[in-house]
Amino acid sequence: MSQSSQQQKVVVTVLKCLKCSYTIERPFKEGDFIPKIDGTCPNDGAPLYIWAIYAKPLVEKK
Amino acid sequence: MIDLLAYAQSASQINSAYYLLFLIFYMLITILFFMPGVQQKMYIYFISRDIENGLAKIENLSQSAKKKTIDLLKKSGAKNPEELADKFAEWFVIDPVSIEPTDIINRMKLLIRTSEDKIRQTIMLSLPNLDPVTRSKIEVSAEILNALNTIYKIVRHYLLLGKKLQSYYILLQLQSIVPMLVRMAESYEKAQDVFIKGIPVGDSLGPLVASRFLMNIKEKWSPSREMVAGETEFEGRKLIVLKAEGPMATVGTPGEAVENIINKLEGKVVRIITVDAAAKLEGEQTGSIAEGVGVAMGDPGPEKIAIERVAAKYNIPIDAIVVKMSMEEAITEMPKEVYEASEKVVEMIKQIIRERTKPGDTVILVGVGNTSGVAQ
Repeated sequence: MSQSSQQQKVVVTVLKCLKCSYTIERPFKEGDFIPKIDGTCPNDGAPLYIWAIYAKPLVEKK
Repeated sequence: MIDLLAYAQSASQINSAYYLLFLIFYMLITILFFMPGVQQKMYIYFISRDIENGLAKIENLSQSAKKKTIDLLKKSGAKNPEELADKFAEWFVIDPVSIEPTDIINRMKLLIRTSEDKIRQTIMLSLPNLDPVTRSKIEVSAEILNALNTIYKIVRHYLLLGKKLQSYYILLQLQSIVPMLVRMAESYEKAQDVFIKGIPVGDSLGPLVASRFLMNIKEKWSPSREMVAGETEFEGRKLIVLKAEGPMATVGTPGEAVENIINKLEGKVVRIITVDAAAKLEGEQTGSIAEGVGVAMGDPGPEKIAIERVAAKYNIPIDAIVVKMSMEEAITEMPKEVYEASEKVVEMIKQIIRERTKPGDTVILVGVGNTSGVAQ
């Protein structure tokens, strides 16, 4: 992997349902913060919390 | 035949002329080489070129930070963004007198708070209806602009001084640190974008860990400026959790908060646990966790000493948990490895409470660091 692709990162927001542990990941958007409630869980209708916001490499290491 | 002889003669004359020129050239070079000062001037020239390249990069980064600060001020509705940006760039705080160290912490605290207040007042005078999150973004931008402008001016000062005095040694020392300063400046400039967007940074590790405990606590209060505290029960222990008030980009005043809470409880606290990001050494892994003793805090002094003093007063042991990362990672987007470490740190804290305290005890947990993008 070249150095430039190693350095390329994408910021993601992870949403989590604290009732059933359902998680979903989407690109970060301005206004996101931990632990903001952002929508409801498709499984049980419980609130979905922004659980994490972090940067990960664009091409993840296998 | 005659033509051939004439040609050979002229060729021999040309060769002799070339040889003579070659000889003169090398004699000149040799003489110049051994003349006092010529070598040094050559070194000074090449070193100066190298430093100038680094300085140009720092200048570009400083200009870019200024532009971003002006854009942010304009977007927030400021009428005099250029004037404000110039004020932030040239802002300074004079260090307290250290040759007489008595009471230096209180003097330092006063100067730090006065500086923070003054910058805040300057922003609020121009933008009276500004929300706290945007205000904190402008404050961080102002700090970054100030840092980059200071680096630029100091490098330029020593470069010009070295050239003026023709001092090889001044320039040599400057040349050796300029690559590190360029790297630092690049990190600062990158950090500005991250803070403006409100993304958690690597240093938000401590507040993130604290928010995991605080998010289920309904009643929270502010024990000191820009701090949030909440009380919960963990396996029979009273756990008081503290962090800076998010999601603003602030570190709060954790020392003062711990001091106030312990004094209010008349010292009836059995343990203080501090969690923070720590600078890794080259070769160490980002996200590696280490446990030790003492206040995990990268503070200039006043906040850290407040915890040490109150802990010493009531003989309360202090635990420290740190997660390693580079300086750049600490001030830019939180790396995935640091987020993963935060989940492990939450479990470590629970384990420490189970092993080192008894039911009925009171424990204080402090999540230290900048709480950008992390509320409670």
